[in-house]
Amino acid sequence: MASIDIQGVGKSYGTVPVLHNVDLSIQDGEFVVLVGPSGCGKSTLLRMVAGLEGITRGDILIGGKVVNELAPKDRDIAMVFQSYALYPHMTVRDNMSYSLKLRGTPSERMSHVISAAASKLGLESFLDRKPRTLSGGQRQRVAMGRSIVRKPKAFLFDEPLSNLDARLREQMRVEIKKLHRELGTTSIYVTHDQVEAMTLADRIVAMNGGAVQQVGTPLDLYERPTNLFVASFIGSPAINILDGILRCDGENRHIILESEEQLPALARIQGRDGQAVKVGIRPEDVQVSIQNAGSRMGQVELVEPMGLGTILHIGTVHRTLKAFVLERADYPIGSNIAYSLPADRLHIFDARTGQRIAD
Amino acid sequence: MSTMPLYEDAADQQRAPLRRFRAGLEPYLYIAPSVILIATIMLVPLIIGLSYAFRDMQLINPFSGGFVGLEHFRNLWMDAAFWLAMKNTLVWTLASVALQFSLGLVLALLLNNPFPGRGIVQALVFLPWAVPTFLSGLNWAWLFNPVVGPLPHWMAALGILPAPENILSDPNVAIWGPIIANVWWGIPFFAITLLAALQSIPQDIYEAAAIDGAGSWRRFIDITLPFLAPTIAITVMLRTVWIANFADLIIVMTNGGPADQTQIVSSYIFTQAFRRLDFGYASAIAMVLLVLLMAYSFAIILMRQSLLRR
Repeated sequence: MASIDIQGVGKSYGTVPVLHNVDLSIQDGEFVVLVGPSGCGKSTLLRMVAGLEGITRGDILIGGKVVNELAPKDRDIAMVFQSYALYPHMTVRDNMSYSLKLRGTPSERMSHVISAAASKLGLESFLDRKPRTLSGGQRQRVAMGRSIVRKPKAFLFDEPLSNLDARLREQMRVEIKKLHRELGTTSIYVTHDQVEAMTLADRIVAMNGGAVQQVGTPLDLYERPTNLFVASFIGSPAINILDGILRCDGENRHIILESEEQLPALARIQGRDGQAVKVGIRPEDVQVSIQNAGSRMGQVELVEPMGLGTILHIGTVHRTLKAFVLERADYPIGSNIAYSLPADRLHIFDARTGQRIAD
Repeated sequence: MSTMPLYEDAADQQRAPLRRFRAGLEPYLYIAPSVILIATIMLVPLIIGLSYAFRDMQLINPFSGGFVGLEHFRNLWMDAAFWLAMKNTLVWTLASVALQFSLGLVLALLLNNPFPGRGIVQALVFLPWAVPTFLSGLNWAWLFNPVVGPLPHWMAALGILPAPENILSDPNVAIWGPIIANVWWGIPFFAITLLAALQSIPQDIYEAAAIDGAGSWRRFIDITLPFLAPTIAITVMLRTVWIANFADLIIVMTNGGPADQTQIVSSYIFTQAFRRLDFGYASAIAMVLLVLLMAYSFAIILMRQSLLRR
């Protein structure tokens, strides 16, 4: 086990930069998730830690030692690939023991370690089978077994659950979390799935366009997104974004929306009078009421029942708002509905830079 | 009107067997043209050809053609030239296949790495394959000729040959002339097929092995070779059968000489049939070669299937 430090790391392919000046410090035993849309550089960063990609600028340290020039095999890390990358011509046992064999582990010790890992992952009855006779979930387990047998300094996961169906993904997510709790090995996990990121991470690193956008605990990112990208990437159903102008009138703050409507905001919002802003509000923070008429009214346009709750698409003067409600009331399409946007639930961003306006 | 359905039912029952027979026959009619074509141009000549092995067939003897039983095979057993040709076939085939395969594999591995100008190099490397065999045979014969070719002088300068002589006229080493020409000509085949197989190996398996601690040699042994094994088995089998039969270069370069030292079985068949015009005897030799190659192919196919099953 070891800490991982990424210091001012950049990567370019020829003249095309794909990673800009990434700084990230991962503590020993921490589970860090890199999340972002495809092409944001998260996999590249992971592969640079693994040693599969060269480092154009900066340093990567594993356990306090610079590993920039070390070959993957000398970094003592283990990696789980999206495609599993199992050796198809070897049995499950040979797949798992390959790294131990290369290190000259004595065979009694090897079979002991393999059977311990196999029983932890529920693979005992598959040890003599070939990977192609296994299902996706079982292959994923073999890939994890291959990683844990040699007690590496860190686990690197490259979208390991992307090839599994939703049910299995949920199940494997729990297993990965349990495994991490048991072994306590430093882990970096790459995914584009924000649910995986939220549920697994000690800390999330949100990335976009080759740069780190925000680092923090899952709830940090959810409740205080540092910019528009993080706000709209994290959370499902996605956050509502409205355009407006910030008005400062002494101690009072309010926002004039595109529809000329006024929206009161918290007094502690910084920013200047007349600043163009984008206002975000999460669907579950939109309060709706079908009985009472209120100052803000809209029509129900679409209803998405999810079991846990219901997503309402409300047609309003400012485009369509999404609201997530827990009660299972019947919302007939076209019916009038009152909604309100509580001031303490608004995320206010500068329209030009997309950065959160301090409050 | 009420009797109509009854009448039709009865007719159906009568016609049913005929209709079933016609329906059963239909697919055979569709494949009949190709079956007839294959039979007339392949099977019939093959059977007639095989029958020559048991008959006295000499083109210049109008009274030949009689059945002689196994006499050709008895003669074959005593024929020293045939046994020499068998030995030469073995040397010729083994040396050619082994060198073509190993050099082809090296070439494929080199071409599998990206480098500037790879496209052009690939195209150039595959060029020998496009040269007609008899032309490459003639060229190599000239290259080995000390009067017009540089090779004997170079080899003498390097100490491989005591004097700049034509190796094609030295009975001890003559067979290596056509072998070298054959290797030059056949490397592209292995390079193309092995390169295609190499490119189908998923890159992340190499990455997983690199992280597991395998250096480049272990990755080659543990990943590349197992992935290539089925392709290697099938290409080596095809080339072995093909090279064992491949008399073109030998006929062009040495014509089996000097003193039959470069005669392989297929060139011996050619000599017997088209030089001595003894088709019966040639056919008997061909039959022996056919049986040997079929046994060999069968063994390789069994081996490949067991490889794939593993």
